[in-house]
Amino acid sequence: MAVSIAPPAEVPAAPGPASRRGRGGPRRRENIAGYVFLSPWLLGLLGITAIPMLLSLYLSFTNYDALTDFSAVEWVGFDNYRKMFTADPSYWHAVRVTVEFALIAVPLKLATALGVALLLNKAFKGVGLFRGLFYLPSLLGGSVALAIVWVNMFNREGAFNSLLSVFGIHGKPWVNDPDWALETLMVLAIWQFGAPMVIFLAGLKQIPVELYEAASVDGANAWRQFRAVTLPMLSPVIFFNLVLETINGFQGFTSAFVLSNGTGGPVDSTLMYSLNLYIKGFTELQMGYASAMAWVFLVAIALITVVLFSTGRFWVHYADGEER
Amino acid sequence: MHRAPSPRAVEPTTRHHRTASPGSGLRRRLLAALVVIPLALAAAACGDDDGGSAAADPNKPVELSIFWWGAEGRAKLTEDALALYTKKHPNVTFKKTWQANQGYFDKLATLTAGGDAPDIFQIDDNYLTEYASRNVTLDLTSYKDGGKLDVTKFPESLWKYGVVDGKLAGVAFGENTQGLVFNKTLLDKNKLPAPTTGMSWADFITWAENVSKTAKVPGTQDPSADYKAFWVWLRQQGKDLYKDKALGFTEQDVTGWFELWKGARDRGATPTADVIHEGNVTDISKQLVVTGKAGTSWVWANQMPELKKNTKDELGVIAYPGDTSAQWARASMYFSVFRGSDKKDIAVDVINFLANDPEAGKVLGTDRGLPSNMDIRKAVSESVTDANMKQSIAVENELGAKFGPSPQVPLKGHSKVRSELIKAAEEVQYGRQTPADAAKAFYAACKTAIGQA
Repeated sequence: MAVSIAPPAEVPAAPGPASRRGRGGPRRRENIAGYVFLSPWLLGLLGITAIPMLLSLYLSFTNYDALTDFSAVEWVGFDNYRKMFTADPSYWHAVRVTVEFALIAVPLKLATALGVALLLNKAFKGVGLFRGLFYLPSLLGGSVALAIVWVNMFNREGAFNSLLSVFGIHGKPWVNDPDWALETLMVLAIWQFGAPMVIFLAGLKQIPVELYEAASVDGANAWRQFRAVTLPMLSPVIFFNLVLETINGFQGFTSAFVLSNGTGGPVDSTLMYSLNLYIKGFTELQMGYASAMAWVFLVAIALITVVLFSTGRFWVHYADGEER
Repeated sequence: MHRAPSPRAVEPTTRHHRTASPGSGLRRRLLAALVVIPLALAAAACGDDDGGSAAADPNKPVELSIFWWGAEGRAKLTEDALALYTKKHPNVTFKKTWQANQGYFDKLATLTAGGDAPDIFQIDDNYLTEYASRNVTLDLTSYKDGGKLDVTKFPESLWKYGVVDGKLAGVAFGENTQGLVFNKTLLDKNKLPAPTTGMSWADFITWAENVSKTAKVPGTQDPSADYKAFWVWLRQQGKDLYKDKALGFTEQDVTGWFELWKGARDRGATPTADVIHEGNVTDISKQLVVTGKAGTSWVWANQMPELKKNTKDELGVIAYPGDTSAQWARASMYFSVFRGSDKKDIAVDVINFLANDPEAGKVLGTDRGLPSNMDIRKAVSESVTDANMKQSIAVENELGAKFGPSPQVPLKGHSKVRSELIKAAEEVQYGRQTPADAAKAFYAACKTAIGQA
């Protein structure tokens, strides 16, 4: 970012070392000013992102256990990575739980967001209020309070089962049942569809009305209009939301942590990848191993994103018709 | 981006600097920072060993940081006791931090990793070995031998319970015993007999089954996921949880334990798996005996006052079923000093004060268990007016008299063993694994956890 401030002035001048040297003084001063203004951000980046990341990369090759002095850390090579893939059943279990969660919750969340956005795109009285209301759960985001509410709503005596009992249905202890606990978390994730919904709404507003008019003149019904106009026109926004929510979905932590009291239970049914990582690092004090898990996680999410981008070529249409 | 004025006046000597790209100096500095900052952090994490220098001038103002877990009641008592110390040593003040048990050790580990552990921190036997074997805790042996830390009034087994690998890693702050808490009100209402100390496991389960039938409340929380119940049961078979650096039991023992409780569940003596799970993961305030979801809970006796606070019903407490000599008085909590502290001597003096000063002892009461110092324990027992505390003392004294010697301090990896037991027991409770399969998985996981390949 910093670099883009300086160069444009150069263009008209003759190239060569002399002229570059010529602009050195003021340009340098400008750069310094730039860096000074950037410094809070730079310090933050270095102090709380870059350096810790590099450290964790280093630690992932060690047996660091959080309590021992750094100086006593032993280099173990790829042992942590080997252990993860070959000798730790909880690792693969957590991967399965996380993938299951993301595969089900993300598409459903996006579908809900799109559906509600379509409804709220219509002009009717009080639409603003409804938009606000639907966005609200998203604002509460990954909050601990919300997860606690969820636990109390979905246990055996919870509000949800009271509601079911009105219809004569005997509910389950949803959050305490290993067959249902993860599904309860999915519902919580889907319910927080506000953020992608707002983005969908913005996208819908961008679609020219003329396209719909033309389509209806051609005799297209509502479904056909949705398929032929809305979806393709919205595809860049869908793509954006898909990428974002997928990453989000894989990183699920708070709700699982609160629901299981930090254990991933009942019987590991909510042991999401990040939660497992947290337990390994902070409860079992295997920081080196947890660091290795974090790096594999980073690479995995990057790969998934790359795959999403490569499929995007086939279904994402940009308005100007250019290939991206 | 204005055009620069003629820059040719610059001396050629500086040319070298100029031609370098503008960011290079900075880049070099960033690179240096990348190398230096981790080193600095590492140096900080190492701490320095020549503590006590702050004690050179006895009147120099000192601030000690102290960190413990517990509820608000404990915070109040601890703060009052520390205020007493400040009154006697006006130059010493405290930076007090406390929080609930949940997350306490995560935070302590994080602080320690940052080289910023509190000067004094509370710890228990689940983690004492982890911290001691990694040299986080100061070895207090020399202070004990030099008389600066007085444990002469402690029962020997109690202070020895703080010794890990020959080093005194923590000072026990309370004596505690396993206790089976039952809901007296519930039993009286249904004209059911109270359980009694010394009843066999089979008798107890039959009793619980009877409670379930008559009172329509499951007779007992299923303790198969509870390490202390499992541990007591093992000791009654002549086994133990740990023996030296290895496990003190076999896979068959675990199978037997899981089968015992599978039988109890099948007979309706315990709640259903999901309710058991609730009891397994919640803190003391939501134990099934106080939420009304079971007739008895398996706890530590010093948790009685906290349990009472959460129910209107009258509670009673007895020993775990079976031979009581398999139970033991455990050091419920310790205070340890951070090895990297630069105020070690004062920190030790504070711990010594909290453990041995009669006034401080009176303030702290039995909140962390029966006071370790026998003189103080006697004084507190005689003067205490709080009904809950009174009962707690009576119970501990009564139960404690029947107990056997303590086992060794749990091994490194103990907390993992505990969480693995919950997982394995729940696999059986939810009917997903047979007792034998779950026992097999648990046994293997335990071996990994304690590093016994």
